[in-house]
Amino acid sequence: MKNIIELCKKAATAAGRKNIDEYEVFIASSIHNEIEVFNGNVENLSFANTKGIGFRVFKEKRMGYAYTSNVYGQELEKCLEKAIENSKITGADDYNFLPSAKDYNYPASDIDRSMLFSERIYKYSTADKINIAKHLESIAKKKDKRISGVSELIYNDNISEIAIINSNGFEDSYRTSSAFIYLGLISRSGQDTSTGDYFGYERCPQDIDIESIAENAAVRSVKLLGAKKIKSQSLDLLLDPFVSVQFLQVIAGITCADAVQKGKSLFAGKIGSKVFSKDFNIFDDGTLKSGMASKPFDAEGVPKGKTAVFEKGVLKSYLYNTYTARKDDTRSTGNASRSSYKTPPETGISNFYIEPSKITVEEIQSKITRGFYVMDIIGLHSGINPISGQISVGAKGIFIENGEKTFPVKEVTIATDILSFCSSLSEVADDLKFMPASGYVGSPSMLLNNITLSGI
Amino acid sequence: MIEKATAKKILNILLKNGGDFSEIYAQKRISNNLRLEDEKIENSSSGFEIGCGLRLISKESTFYAYVDSLEKDALLNAAKVLSAAVSEKIKGRAIDLNERSSRYKIKIESHPSDIKQQYKKSILDEINTSARNYSHHIIQVTANISDLEEEVFIANSKGFFANDSIIKVFAAVNVVAKKGSEIRTGYKSLAKTKGFEIFNNNKAEDLSAEASRIAVTMLDAIDAPAGIMPAVIGNAFGGVIFHEACGHGLEADAVIKDASVYKNKLGTKIASDIVTAVDDSTLPYHWGSYSYDGEGFPSKKNILIEEGILKGYLFDYKSSVKMGLEQTGNGRRQSYRDIPVPRMSNTYIDKGKGSRKDIIESVKKGVFAKEFAGGQVDPATGDFVFGISEGYMIKNGNICEPIKGATLIGNGPKILKKIEAIGTDLDFAPGFCGKAGQSVSNEVGQPTVLISSITVGGTKV
Repeated sequence: MKNIIELCKKAATAAGRKNIDEYEVFIASSIHNEIEVFNGNVENLSFANTKGIGFRVFKEKRMGYAYTSNVYGQELEKCLEKAIENSKITGADDYNFLPSAKDYNYPASDIDRSMLFSERIYKYSTADKINIAKHLESIAKKKDKRISGVSELIYNDNISEIAIINSNGFEDSYRTSSAFIYLGLISRSGQDTSTGDYFGYERCPQDIDIESIAENAAVRSVKLLGAKKIKSQSLDLLLDPFVSVQFLQVIAGITCADAVQKGKSLFAGKIGSKVFSKDFNIFDDGTLKSGMASKPFDAEGVPKGKTAVFEKGVLKSYLYNTYTARKDDTRSTGNASRSSYKTPPETGISNFYIEPSKITVEEIQSKITRGFYVMDIIGLHSGINPISGQISVGAKGIFIENGEKTFPVKEVTIATDILSFCSSLSEVADDLKFMPASGYVGSPSMLLNNITLSGI
Repeated sequence: MIEKATAKKILNILLKNGGDFSEIYAQKRISNNLRLEDEKIENSSSGFEIGCGLRLISKESTFYAYVDSLEKDALLNAAKVLSAAVSEKIKGRAIDLNERSSRYKIKIESHPSDIKQQYKKSILDEINTSARNYSHHIIQVTANISDLEEEVFIANSKGFFANDSIIKVFAAVNVVAKKGSEIRTGYKSLAKTKGFEIFNNNKAEDLSAEASRIAVTMLDAIDAPAGIMPAVIGNAFGGVIFHEACGHGLEADAVIKDASVYKNKLGTKIASDIVTAVDDSTLPYHWGSYSYDGEGFPSKKNILIEEGILKGYLFDYKSSVKMGLEQTGNGRRQSYRDIPVPRMSNTYIDKGKGSRKDIIESVKKGVFAKEFAGGQVDPATGDFVFGISEGYMIKNGNICEPIKGATLIGNGPKILKKIEAIGTDLDFAPGFCGKAGQSVSNEVGQPTVLISSITVGGTKV
């Protein structure tokens, strides 16, 4: 890494003397392992040690970008040349320049960097990883005799290092580690087939609760066997955290200032308005202790912080990177993000979550006279238009009558729109659960009143 | 990119501790992306990628590694490391390499490397202007043009190698229209395995006009109905339903894992008699076409369903060996970083006999789903859902009000049997398909299709 930083600096300094006002280099390196197990065998085992860099340059308030996976030899110069060439075609914009030194230092992020990386990941050999995956497959299959097979069992881990250097004197890097296991189970009963999945995601594989993955995937699969369609109606929805997180992710996306400023967010002009009918608090916290999206600084070097996005149901703040913050005459909230070194910084969430209550999900359920406990939704990407706000997704789960779960339901849709979703959210439970979803999104179970279900 | 002798050496090193198959996939890619938003070019980005993936198969197991380099020493070293994943008594051996040829021949007129940034910018400016001129309701236009040039070298221990060069151009427009508090979007894309000649004959303006028309039309949409009714599925992108609800279940890896509803169904009737469906990676210039798949196997036309009878699955090398059936040229991968898996290319329902007009006139009360935002399917159950991005009510055989926020939900095997009429207006639409964490280019296609009954998920009970 040090070596690459030096090479990049040399290339950028040389270019800087020629024809750029400012530059930024984003360097990502990672060691990645993935194992797929099927029927007690290793189906796939892959590993890679990979690096890439992205150059962002500014010239007369125009920005250019180029990246390369080949970080040696003449390639860096070539990549930088291309970024400079690209800057000549983009539109000039007064807000287009790097964050300055005072942006890096305020407010200084006091995040404990050791929580982002677990040294124990090195103690876990490839054989250990294969064993844990095989073990999970074997215990999951024994969970219920109706389980007929595994549709997918994937283990992967990642040790990665991110470094940013820029011409304003910023130079810093951090390391993260992560391990992820995903299990999809198929169960059958008579002619009926049902699927269910679950996952574990931690800083090191030793911390993943294998038993919980097996149990949850099994329950989510077999509980829906024998599911049937029901007639179209309006009823209360109890959303499992697995589902509520997916809706919250969509809401999170349109709190980003980029969407707001471009007329692509229903939250535009709503700062200070009560969007939720109840007093919910929603935060984006890039410093959250157990947050898998926590970082010391964002994708352009600005310290991560905690932003109250909604307070008591009122929209308080959008999420900003440096560019969008300047446009709104405010400070960056440290929400510049990049999916990889292949893209320049955009605006994105970190650990985005709704604060849980002290009520249990059982208490909430007991008060429902006629409702639908939604265990899974499909078609999220095509069924939700974050710009127009329309929501219509496929759902499966269990019908609720007089506070009791009765029979499983499938092949129905639930439809509403984002603003109605917010206003019909009447309770959240105490079971906050995080999921990786273009950031790390957390939600407890949710109760929504009067939503249209479409079936027979 | 890699010399034959070096390739053979690497293939043999991979097999030095045993194994049934070894492979090299080397790739160089240059890509450019120009994006317009807020009436200006907001992002101009280029990428250089170079690397090589090495694969070793031993019985059921695949071992894979890649390096971001084509340096001989880096490859030899990676091969050595990877070979240690296997420890068998008999070592494997690569056969002498012979070049595999493809019948897919196309002519590129206007290479991306010859195109000035200024020219791309002028196309995007034109898209922006024509969309904003279409209606004063249009408040935002996002448009992008991406192009890529790629060189690929693939060789395997079965004695084949292939060299390929790939050129692709993609353009998309997304417009946002607003009237009062109603906001609607319209999207259209143009993509081919072609050079910049794809923009000839005002294609960019057509793209922009179509996206604008959808967004503005949908401003007046009424709430979609909820319940079961007949649905007419529009041609071209309507084929996404077949792609998701049936196509993925015909990919052999799903069949092998017993995660497909079409397992053990070869030769049996799975759709109504009028349905013939095809996956054809040889259609000239189509977005999902190629000379060779990601394993160096030549592209091919494969009949999936013929007059309602299931004829075949889609295979990569590994699944074809496992099922003892012929490879179909569908082993695809996103890049050298990825293991190939069975994937569709250009997948479509073939022409039928009815006219679109007759099909719509035959519906008393139902919906006309013209364009979709995409969809999702669970291959193990066949359950699917599709979001309608442009849809209308049909009343007494007439197309009436546009409807908003509707989805179609159903089950693949059941819906295939409910196809009652197929038009003659076969057309295609490009897109990207995600599977196993990899995104590849696909086309979907079909004529206008009538489904006799399906659940429409709206808000109006």
